[in-house]
Amino acid sequence: MAKKSFVGEIIRGIIKDNPVFVLVLGLCPVLAVSTSFANALGMALAFTFVMLGSNIFVSLLRKQIPPGVRIPIFILIICTFVTMVDMILEAFLPPMYEALGIFVPLIVVNCIVIGRAEAYANRNPVLPSIADGIGISIGFAVALMLIGSIREILGTGGLKLVMLWSEAGKLGFYPLSSIPGFSFVPEVISFPIEPAIVMVTPPGAFLTIAALMLLFKIMSDRKRMKQLKKEGYEI
Amino acid sequence: MIETPGLMPTEDLFPIFVNAMFTKNFLLIMFLGLCSYVGLTTNSETSKGMSMAVTFVMTMSAILTWPIYHYLLSPASIIGKDLTFLRTICFILIIASFVQLVEFIIRRFSPPLYKSLGIYLPLIATNCAVLGVVLMNIQEGFTYGASIIYAFAAGLGYSWVMLATAAVREKLIMRGVDLFSGFIGAFFAATMVALIVVSYFSVVKL
Amino acid sequence: MTVDLMSLLPPAIAVLGALGLAMAGMLVWASKAFYVETDPLVDALMELMPGANCGACGYPGCADFAEHVVAGDITPDLCTSCDAETFEMIGELLGMDISAAEPMYPVTICQGGKNCKDRYDYIGADTCKAAILLSGTKKACSYGCIGLGDCVRACMFDAIEIADNGLPKIKKYNCKGCGACVTACPQDVLTIAKEHGPVYVVCASHDKGKYVKEVCEFGCIGCGICKKKCPEGAIKLDKALAVIDQEKCNQCGTCIEVCPRNAIVKL
Repeated sequence: MAKKSFVGEIIRGIIKDNPVFVLVLGLCPVLAVSTSFANALGMALAFTFVMLGSNIFVSLLRKQIPPGVRIPIFILIICTFVTMVDMILEAFLPPMYEALGIFVPLIVVNCIVIGRAEAYANRNPVLPSIADGIGISIGFAVALMLIGSIREILGTGGLKLVMLWSEAGKLGFYPLSSIPGFSFVPEVISFPIEPAIVMVTPPGAFLTIAALMLLFKIMSDRKRMKQLKKEGYEI
Repeated sequence: MIETPGLMPTEDLFPIFVNAMFTKNFLLIMFLGLCSYVGLTTNSETSKGMSMAVTFVMTMSAILTWPIYHYLLSPASIIGKDLTFLRTICFILIIASFVQLVEFIIRRFSPPLYKSLGIYLPLIATNCAVLGVVLMNIQEGFTYGASIIYAFAAGLGYSWVMLATAAVREKLIMRGVDLFSGFIGAFFAATMVALIVVSYFSVVKL
Repeated sequence: MTVDLMSLLPPAIAVLGALGLAMAGMLVWASKAFYVETDPLVDALMELMPGANCGACGYPGCADFAEHVVAGDITPDLCTSCDAETFEMIGELLGMDISAAEPMYPVTICQGGKNCKDRYDYIGADTCKAAILLSGTKKACSYGCIGLGDCVRACMFDAIEIADNGLPKIKKYNCKGCGACVTACPQDVLTIAKEHGPVYVVCASHDKGKYVKEVCEFGCIGCGICKKKCPEGAIKLDKALAVIDQEKCNQCGTCIEVCPRNAIVKL
C-alpha cells in the first residue's frame, strides 16, 4: 500500500469519505441529537472519543484478532470505550448526559465506528488509523453541527454557540461569549427570520438532512459529469 | 435501596402501547434503526421481511435482557453489587448471540424462511432499534410484563412505518418520480410520514 | 460516594465472563446441532462476487450462482457484472482460466420515439407494461419502443435513461451488460450486442411499408433492396421487416448505404 500522508488521511475522512453525507452511515444519532448546536457538539465529542479509542485498539491488536471472530471482538472493544464515555459524561457533564440520553450507549451499534474498524483500522498501522479516526470524527462532527445549526437557526431564529470549558472548576458547555477571548461573540446570534417550529421537531430533522444530501449529490454529480466528459464519454 | 420492579405489569398498558407505536415511534420520532429504513423501503417485500424479523428479535431481547439486568446487574440483585455499567456490553452480547442462534435454527429447519428472513438477521444484531428498546426498558423502569409489551409495540411501530413508507416509495418509483429513488427520497418520504404522526398527535391528545 | 473498585472487580469479571461463556457455549452447541453443510469454496466465491443480485446469469442471486459454479453446472464467465479483475481472482480461486467476455451493451431496435406518431394521449401508469394493455400501445407503431422506461427501472446500475428523443439511451460508463433491461422490455426492442461491429436493422415493425412510411420517419418498409444487394445473402425478409443473419453477415456495410429509410446501422 502506498504511503499516505497523515493530513491527507484526515482530509479524506472529512470530504471524500464523509460518514454522513457520502457513506450514509450512523444516521440515527445525527438526526436525534441535532436539535441544537450544543447537543451536536456534545455528541461529536463523545463520538470522537469512541472512534479514536476503537481505531487505536483495533489497529494495535489487528495481528492478534482471529478473522473469524473479528466482529464480536470489535464490538467488545467499542463497547468498552462507549461505557467509559457514558460514565465520564454522567460524572462530569450531567446536563449533556441527560440531553443525549440513550444515544451515547447506542454509539456501540453505530455503523461508522464498526465500519471503520473493519474497513480501515484492521488493515492499517496505528498512525494512519489515528488519522482516519480523526478525519472521520471531524467529518461526523461537521455534518452533525451543520445540521444542528441549521435546525436551531430555522427553528428558533437564533444560534447559541457553546464550547466545552471549565469555569470555576466546573466542567460544562458554556456560551462562547462568556469564555475569555471570545467576548465579542454575542450570547445568541439572532437571524431576522420567522422561526419555523417544525424544524426542531423530528420531521425537520428528516427535511434538513434530505435537503443537505440533495445539495451534496448535485455537487458530486456535476463533478462526475465533468470528469466523464473529459474522458470522452457522451453524456 | 433500589427495588426490583415486579414481574406482572402494574403500569397502565394502553399509553405504553400507543407511545411505542405512534407518539414515540422508534423510526420517526426517536430516530432509531434508520439504516435499514433508508436501505430497505424501496421494496415492500423486503420491508415486510425486515419488519417481521425486527419485531420478533425486539420482543425476544426484551424477554431475555430484563431478567439479566434485574437479577444480575442491578444493585438490588442477588449479587448485591452495582454492576449497571456493564449493561451495554451484556445486552449487545445477548442480542448478538440470540440473533445468531435464530439464524442457525431457521437455516436448519426452514430453508424457505431463511431465504426470505435470514438475510436480514445479520443486519439486526447491529440495529440500534433493538438495543434502543432494551435500554429504554431499563431507563423507564418498566415491570417485566410492561417491558415485553413495550418492545412488541415498538416492533409494531417500526413495522407500520416501514410498510407505509415502502408503499409510498414503491408507487412513486414506479410512476417515475426520481426524487424518491435514492437515500434522499427516503428522507423526503420520512419527512412526510413523520409530519403526519407529529401533527396528528399534537391535535389528538391521548 | 466512593466506590471500592476492588470489591466491584470480581463480580464484574464473574458476571461478564459467565455470560460470555454461556453465550459462546450455546452458540458452539447450536452451530453443531443445527449444522448445515456448506461448501467453503462457495463462501469464498461469494466473497468475490459483485453481490448485485442482478440475475443476468439466470439464477436468483449471486449466492445461487456461486453454488452452481462450484457444482460445475456452469462456468463463471456467465456473470456479466464481474469485471476483468474479479474474473482473474475467481479464476485463481477455482484454478481455471477465465477471460472476461468482450463487453456487450444493449441496443435499441427502434428509431421511433419522437419520430413515430402517437395514436392518442396516454394518461395512465407510467410503465410500458401497463401501456400495452390499453389496446396496443400509445404509439402508432405497435412494435416500437413505448418509451415509458421499464428498462430504466429494471437497471440496477443507473446505466440507461429515456433520452429527449423518447428512446432509451445507454450510459456505457455505467453499463455492465447484464441484460436486465432486455428482459424487462415488453416490446422486445432491446437486444444485447457487442460494442463495435455488428450491423442491425434498427426497426421492429412488421407493418406494411405504406403504413410505416405514414407514421414513422425511419422504420423498415420491407422494400427488400438490402436483401438484393447483400453480397453474403445474410438478409431475409420476415413479414415486411428485413432481418440480418448475424452468423452470415461480414459487416461490409453495403446494406447501410442502400437502405432508403436509414433503418440499418453499424454499431
